[in-house]
Parts: sequence; C-alpha cells; structure tokens
Amino acid sequence: MPLLINRAVAEDSWLLVDEDNLSAHVDEDIVVPYELFAENVDSLMQAKGALGVRINGDQNLDLVLQYLDKLALVAIEFPAFTDGRGFSFARILRRSGFTGQIRAEGDVTRDRLEYMERCGFDAFAIPADRYSADIANAFGEVTVHYQGSADDERPIFRQ
Amino acid sequence: MYQYNEQDQNLINARVEQYRDQTRRFLAGEIPDEEFRGLRLMNGLYIQRQAPMLRIAVPYGLMNSVQVRKLADITRKYDKNYAHITTRTNVQLNWPKLEEVPDILAELAEVQMHAIQTSGNCLRNTTTDHFAGIVPDEIEDPRPWCEIIRQWTTLHPEFAYLPRKFKIAVTGGPEDRAASQVHDIGLHMVKNAEGEVGFEVLVGGGLGRTPVIGKVIRQFLPKQDLLTYLEAILRVYNLNGRRDNKYKARIKILVNALGTEEFSKLVEAEWEIIRTTELALTEEYIEKIKGFFEPHPYAVDAVDGLAVLENQLADNKEFGAWYERNTREHKVAGYRAVVISLKPHLKPPGDITDVQLDAVADLADTFNFGEIRSTHDQNLVFAHVAAGDLYTLWQSLRDLNLARANIGTLTDMIVCPGFDYCSLANAHTLNVADQINAKFDDLDYLYDIGDIKLNMSGCINACAHHHVAHIGVLGVDKGGEDFYQITLGGSSREDASLGKIIGKSVPQAEVANTIETILQVYVENRHEEERFIETVRRIGVIPFKERVYAPIN
Repeated sequence: MPLLINRAVAEDSWLLVDEDNLSAHVDEDIVVPYELFAENVDSLMQAKGALGVRINGDQNLDLVLQYLDKLALVAIEFPAFTDGRGFSFARILRRSGFTGQIRAEGDVTRDRLEYMERCGFDAFAIPADRYSADIANAFGEVTVHYQGSADDERPIFRQ
Repeated sequence: MYQYNEQDQNLINARVEQYRDQTRRFLAGEIPDEEFRGLRLMNGLYIQRQAPMLRIAVPYGLMNSVQVRKLADITRKYDKNYAHITTRTNVQLNWPKLEEVPDILAELAEVQMHAIQTSGNCLRNTTTDHFAGIVPDEIEDPRPWCEIIRQWTTLHPEFAYLPRKFKIAVTGGPEDRAASQVHDIGLHMVKNAEGEVGFEVLVGGGLGRTPVIGKVIRQFLPKQDLLTYLEAILRVYNLNGRRDNKYKARIKILVNALGTEEFSKLVEAEWEIIRTTELALTEEYIEKIKGFFEPHPYAVDAVDGLAVLENQLADNKEFGAWYERNTREHKVAGYRAVVISLKPHLKPPGDITDVQLDAVADLADTFNFGEIRSTHDQNLVFAHVAAGDLYTLWQSLRDLNLARANIGTLTDMIVCPGFDYCSLANAHTLNVADQINAKFDDLDYLYDIGDIKLNMSGCINACAHHHVAHIGVLGVDKGGEDFYQITLGGSSREDASLGKIIGKSVPQAEVANTIETILQVYVENRHEEERFIETVRRIGVIPFKERVYAPIN
C-alpha cells in the first residue's frame, strides 16, 4: 500500500501489531490498535521503541489524548470515505499540541487528501488500486482558505 | 451586496477547475460512482429521474442583475430556457448535461456565483429574511452575518463529510420569514439586558421524516463569538451524530437523544477551548463585511411619489389588489418592497423563464438598484421600489406574467418538483398544484380567505416544508396511485408549529375539494379578522376532520 508522508512517497518504518505478536515486537516502532493499546497501556508506556496507536471514529479519542506525549504516531482509520469523524480527530490532536505523525488509513483516496492535510494529517496510506503517480497533485488545488488550517490557524480575516 | 475580492475569485475559479478534473476523472473511470456521487453532490449536481439537476447557490437569496442575466443565458445555452427557485433560495436547472456542468460553473464564476455545497452531507447555503435590511423593527441587518457564515462554511475542510446535511438560517429581528426554527441551527439577532446585540442560538430543528422545532441552547451569544460557537456545535455533531442510519443522522436526532441540556454542555465545553482562538471575529472584519451592506442611495424625493401612487391606486382596482397583496412596508418613507409572484395560474410554482429572468434583471436596474432577491417561498423580491415607480413596474411585471396578486394567499404555494422530476418523490405535485389553481381561480374568494400558507411535498423528505404550512399536503404512494395526506396548523414563522394530520390520505382527484371543505369550516368558524391559522389553533383540527371525513348521504 503506497504511503505518502509530507506529500512524498515514503517507506513505512512502522509495524502494525496485533494481540499475537505484540510481545515479540514491543520494543520496536509499533502501531497498536486501540483496543490492544487500552488493555496494555501501562506496559506500552515502558516500551523502548516509538509508539503509535490506531483509532477509528467509534473509539474514544480521550484515551489517546491522555498519553499524547508518549506517542509518535496516531493512525486514524476511515472505514468509508463518507465517515468524517477522522477530520475532527486530527484537528483535536493538533490543537492539543501533538507534533508526531497523523496517518490516514482505510478508505483514503485522492479527493479528500487536501482537506485531510488541512486538518492535520501528514501521512496517507493509499489503497494500491486507488494510487496513481500524480496523486500529490491533489494538494494545493484550492490555495485560498477561508478557515484556519493545522499549519496556519488564521482564518481569512487574520491572514 | 458583497463583492468578491481577488481571493474570493481565486477560490471560486480554483474550485471550478478542481470539479472539472473530478468530472474528467469520473468519465475516465478513475473515480467509482459512489465516490463521485459525494463529489458531485457537494457541487449541487443530482442525477434525477430524467436528467441531472444542478442547484446553483444564491447565498442568503441575494443577486444582482448581472448574475440574473447570466442565469438566463445559462438556461438558454445549457438547459431548457427556465430555472426553478428553491426553499433555500437557490436556483435549480433541471436539464443540464453532466459533461457540461464544469462549463456552467466556469460561466457562473465569471459573475461571482457557484454551486458549492448546495447538496451533500455538508454545510449548505445560509438563508435569511428576504426583507432583510428594510424591516422597520429589525434589530440588525442579518446579511453581513450570513456572509461571514458563508465564508466560514465554504470548503470547510473538517465539516465536508458530516453525518448528514446541515442548514443554518439567520433572522434580524422578532419576525421570522426564514423558517429558522426548523433549521439545524437557527440564529436570531437579539438585544441583551445591557443593550448589546448578539444571537439567540437554536439547534436541532428540521423537517423530513421527523419534524422537530429547534431548541434554544444559548440565549445570548456575543457577536465576536459567532464562528467559534458554530464551530463548536459542528464539531460536537460531526463526532457524535449517528452515521449508521441516514434517517437518524440529522443533528435534531442527536439533540433529542442527548437532551438539550447535555447537548449544550458538550457544545459549551468545546467552545470554552476554542473561544479565544484565531477564529474569534475581529471588529475590523465585521465592519468590513458590514460595509458591503450599506443602505442604497435612496432618493429623498421618493415621498413625492406617494400622492401619484394614491391616485393610481384609486383609479385601477387591479393595480390596487396587486399593491395590497404583493408589496410590503419599507423602513424608508416613499419606498415599498415588491414581491414578484412566481406562482402564475397553471404553471409550476417557483419556475422562471429565460425571458422573464432577463426582463427582471432590466427592471431591477431601472427600479431597484440592480438588486434581486429570491425567497424561501419561491418568489422574487425587489426590496426598494420608489412609490412613484410602482405602477410602471406593475405594468411591466403584468406583461411578463409576474404580477399575479396572490402573495400570501392559497395559490402562493411552496411546491417541490415532485414525481415529474425528482427521483425521491412518491407522488406528483405539479398536477395537484394545477388542480388547486384551477379550483381557486377567483381572486375575491382568495382575498376573503386571506393570509394562508399551503405547502405541498411529493414525499416524506418534505422539501416543500409541508409540516410547517397552515395546510400541508404530502404526496404518498398507495399501490401505485398518488394519495395525499393533509395536515393543518403548521407554521414556519416566529410562532413555529408542526401541522397535525387530519385523517387518512385522500385520492389525487379529491385534493382541491378537500381544501375547499377545510376552507368552508374556516369561513363558518372564524371570528372577525381571524386568520386561518388562528382559527385552526383556536378550534383544533377536529371540526375540520369531521367535515372532511363526514359520511356521504
């Protein structure tokens, strides 16, 4: 699955773990699904690698916010492109001071990338069948913004 | 009115090109149907029963003559020489070609128009009072606030994929001509005890399958907090609104499920966090936007026309009737607001032809400072006509079949396009509108019945707001035949209420007869000067029901 980080194609240096292999990889750079994260949060805080968590709109962002300074990545899952909750999750993470990677996963395709970036996403895992070499053209299609964005909070009347 | 600056124009132009590319990629098979559906809806394009339908935004119902001429031109070039005014004061084209929509948008952009967010599960066009800025008891002109909201809603990156559509209406004073209490958010300009002007905030109103009157969640919101508060409401809704069932996805369901108190607690908590961020409005910005809505240069000698007008009214009964029904008070002496009726005899309510659009644009230049307003009731308004010009304007409008003196009467119906056009509809509406028009053609009878609101929707989605009509007509399908359910006692005004169903639905052929029976009950029971809605409220629906469903001897 092609991965864009800061609009450029990148290798994924993270490992998504599950219940079975968590203990084997606990000291590596891992992304832990929300439920598993919630169950093992104490031990995960002691782990030596970089820590990421994977969350979707049905799950509770407050738990993630509670451990934000220990996290280097938050992956937000879009079960369908119509599910807009992830946009608000990213906004809240950034305004809470999170500077790590926010990665969009799931039904992540070209025509939402620009809005996602404006909300604070900087990484996008694109399904292979929806990836094309010119996908980064999606960024900057509309350069005038009435609202503030993650990288510049000023709405148009303060720009 | 608001004029685009370079940034506004750049945004609209870029959006046209973005949509052009999306259309190209869709036609090339690069975007799946379902995904393109989301993209085209956010640009006002539906695929309907016979053809696509394009909904063009008219922010808070305000247009200039250049824009109206462009609309006329577009209906000629890309459609079938007519357009339709909607209850969100937008303009719909019924026959555009999907491939040509980007070109239509490019033409619209030339006159500072677009179709952004006129459909889809996003922030829709903000509506207001079509008499904004001219009403004597207005607290403040709501239009600058609508423009501020327009800018904030346009291409908002966080709220483009809401659980469901989201509509905001703003009123400037105690009278409500914007149906604000049946909007997702209703904003009322109010004065607090200290004499400061701000907003009363209502949330969770709506129509459709589950009609609900909005609830006040904040009595007074200071002006500078408008966008932070709206953003807080939207964030709470985006995160918590139901996404598993589209019929339960509107904010009204969330507000009802949580309770008003709990919902407003969530909003206030979020607002506390963002209240003093960059999104707080600046005095400079507010003043700048207000500057676009300064009063027109009214003529001081317009009052001289009043004497002439008096003679004209005395001399011409037909003109007098039109003046009585189709004009309204203006706060500047010597001026009147004129409602241009788009409810002619036996023609689809809310439709206007290219020839009429062009002529209206010319008349607006001559008599109305080049301004044209579209209304929630599917009519047009010239808000500032000098008394001495009214007669000439009336003659011109009459020649255009735009002067039917029926504003506020039974035939000033809000009607959705129904089964003839809409793929959601269960029943026809346009032929029933004709039936009602044919039955109630006698103007003296209509004037005797007086102020009454009849709305007719072709399905439960309630686009024509039948729940909040004095007489609501809802088309339903019964075994392949069109039937119509009647409700009485609804209102979309400051005294908002939901109509009550009077009984089982009636066959299509009986709709006008049933209305006639209802009106008989009104005439027999009304007190002097009592309007239809007041009689219904006083005596209840039972007397109407008993008469309508009385056994035939």
